[in-house]
Amino acid sequence: MTDLSIVLRSLRVRAFSTSVVIALVAISAGLLLAILSLRTAGERAFERGTGNAHLLVSRDGSPLVSVLNGLFYANPPKAPIDAAKLAEIRGSFPWSMFVPMAVGDSYRSFPVVATVPDFFTKFEPVAGEPWVFAEGRPFERNFEIVLGSAVARETGLRMGAKLVVTHGSGKSREGVDEHAHVHEEYEFTVVGILAPTGAPHDRALFSDLDSSWILHAHDRFEREGLHKTVTAADLTDEDRVVTGVLLRLPSRDGSAPPALVSQYDRMRRDGSITVAIPANEVQRLFDIVASIDVLFIAMAAATLLSSGVAILLSMVNSMHERRRQVAILRVLGASRGRIFWLVLTESTMVGLVGAAIGVALCAIVLFFVTTWMREAHGIVIAPELDARSAILVAMGTTALAALAGLVPSIQAYRTSVARNLRPIG
Amino acid sequence: MQASNEPSSPSALEIDALAFRYPGGFELHLPRLHLAKGEEMLLVGRSGCGKSTLLQLIAGLLDPSSGAIRVGGSAIHTLHGAARDRFRGRSIGMVFQTFHLLHGFSARENVLIALLMGDLPKRDADARAESLLRSLGIDRLDAPAEELSVGQQQRVAIARALACRPTLVLADEPTASLDPENALNAVRVLRDACRDEGAALLVVSHDPSLESHFARRERLESLRAPESSSSAAAARAGGAA
Repeated sequence: MTDLSIVLRSLRVRAFSTSVVIALVAISAGLLLAILSLRTAGERAFERGTGNAHLLVSRDGSPLVSVLNGLFYANPPKAPIDAAKLAEIRGSFPWSMFVPMAVGDSYRSFPVVATVPDFFTKFEPVAGEPWVFAEGRPFERNFEIVLGSAVARETGLRMGAKLVVTHGSGKSREGVDEHAHVHEEYEFTVVGILAPTGAPHDRALFSDLDSSWILHAHDRFEREGLHKTVTAADLTDEDRVVTGVLLRLPSRDGSAPPALVSQYDRMRRDGSITVAIPANEVQRLFDIVASIDVLFIAMAAATLLSSGVAILLSMVNSMHERRRQVAILRVLGASRGRIFWLVLTESTMVGLVGAAIGVALCAIVLFFVTTWMREAHGIVIAPELDARSAILVAMGTTALAALAGLVPSIQAYRTSVARNLRPIG
Repeated sequence: MQASNEPSSPSALEIDALAFRYPGGFELHLPRLHLAKGEEMLLVGRSGCGKSTLLQLIAGLLDPSSGAIRVGGSAIHTLHGAARDRFRGRSIGMVFQTFHLLHGFSARENVLIALLMGDLPKRDADARAESLLRSLGIDRLDAPAEELSVGQQQRVAIARALACRPTLVLADEPTASLDPENALNAVRVLRDACRDEGAALLVVSHDPSLESHFARRERLESLRAPESSSSAAAARAGGAA
């Protein structure tokens, strides 16, 4: 028999109210932790999505839209960069990476990204984590296509499969893009399937620029009344347009080089293009979302606070029975200080057990959410329980419970033995 | 029955010129009461005459207005805070009319808690609790105390009072909840247990039928101060404890 076993037994005697309060504490601690984890996961997902590009050039309306469209495939960019501008950008600086992209076609609503082989060798979907092919290889010839991991999983397409792409995204604000049409005459062959990256690229298909331009040249010939099979030799500068360029400046250790700011400023002065530093735009997005974020955290914290009040109420309510117990313990030799600590330990235990269950609950729920999101949506960056938040929430909950236990502990400390062992004589 | 002033063999209990003033202004007076080691005594008084108050004064749960109380030679009221509590836990056992066993704890645990609060060595605690309970005829050691019969609860309360081998056991109306047959049995068990453990026993009761069982007995009324001897005053005085 120890002081701790007295505390545990005392909680067990009031098993129902103890369980209800512990459940309440667990749910509120778990909720707060889940919100913190989701927030971290969301931030990480966006940070990962920007990849290793220092700059993104497009003709979208704003840098933020440019990043959302160019790297997160929110919508197909509308205005293209023509061949002359593309050449001008290429020649303006000794870029260590110059990856033009044309986004606009789709396969079953997954975006098809037309790009160059450097996309797989120099661009990293997540900074520091180069592409890994689960199967096959990058495209080498026209009409070869590489599948992002989520596309492969969701469409069931295998190596060597044939597919035709849709000109247009296949979706619009109203649900259907009325200009979308299928290029039945040009079949792509799957030559590679990428391993999951956790970035939005998992939900895209990748082919070479020529193939995309051929499809568009075909449309041009059709409009002119010429029905022919278009080849790369038929392409003109009018066809050779892209929707964005990913750029990297030479840097020794992978960090942003000092020239980035001067290049960014120089290109910004060109009114015909939009230039964005992807990492900064994501940060800007988070600054916008941050205020809503704080509201969620405040709500979860309020729930936690109310569970602290529940601990207080449950312990104060049990004070009638507790006074007799306190008086008996005092008769048996317990000091006021010991009684104070016994009651305070009791409320702290409720907080500690509640917090532990809350963390476990959160971990289990997040595990299932993670699995579900990966299997159903191909999103690899799912909420992960980060140890720092877990420890912080557990400590906060326990401290709150101890604080809630102060009032009953003081009441117990001041309990009169004479009055509570009612004399008969 | 006379207290010895020798430090080597102090009395179990020495009360001299004790006065206690209740919040209402009534006073309890006890000029002298000495109890030798291992001695037993019955203190009879009608309800409300201050018997329980006296026990709480002896146990150091109340402070006297004046006078001295020594238990085993130690003046309990010169001790403060945790030191007094520890002294009470080790040197004084208390048995109550309603037993006051800890709800939700087994018979064994009720005794173990007394040993824990008395700061006795943990390694001997289990053996001590078990032998004490078995010697008092309790065999369902791990049954919740509230599930035991009234007679067995009384024995658990006695075992708990004796757990720390106290110098003095104070029993407050130990038979008031029992029928006459069980009451006599309880007194016998209490006296035998105290004798076996070498503890002095002071029983306070309003039940005159117990008088034949104690060689030494006193009436508390004769110990009260004349100015607060009216029955109304005595009744209220007892209730204020």
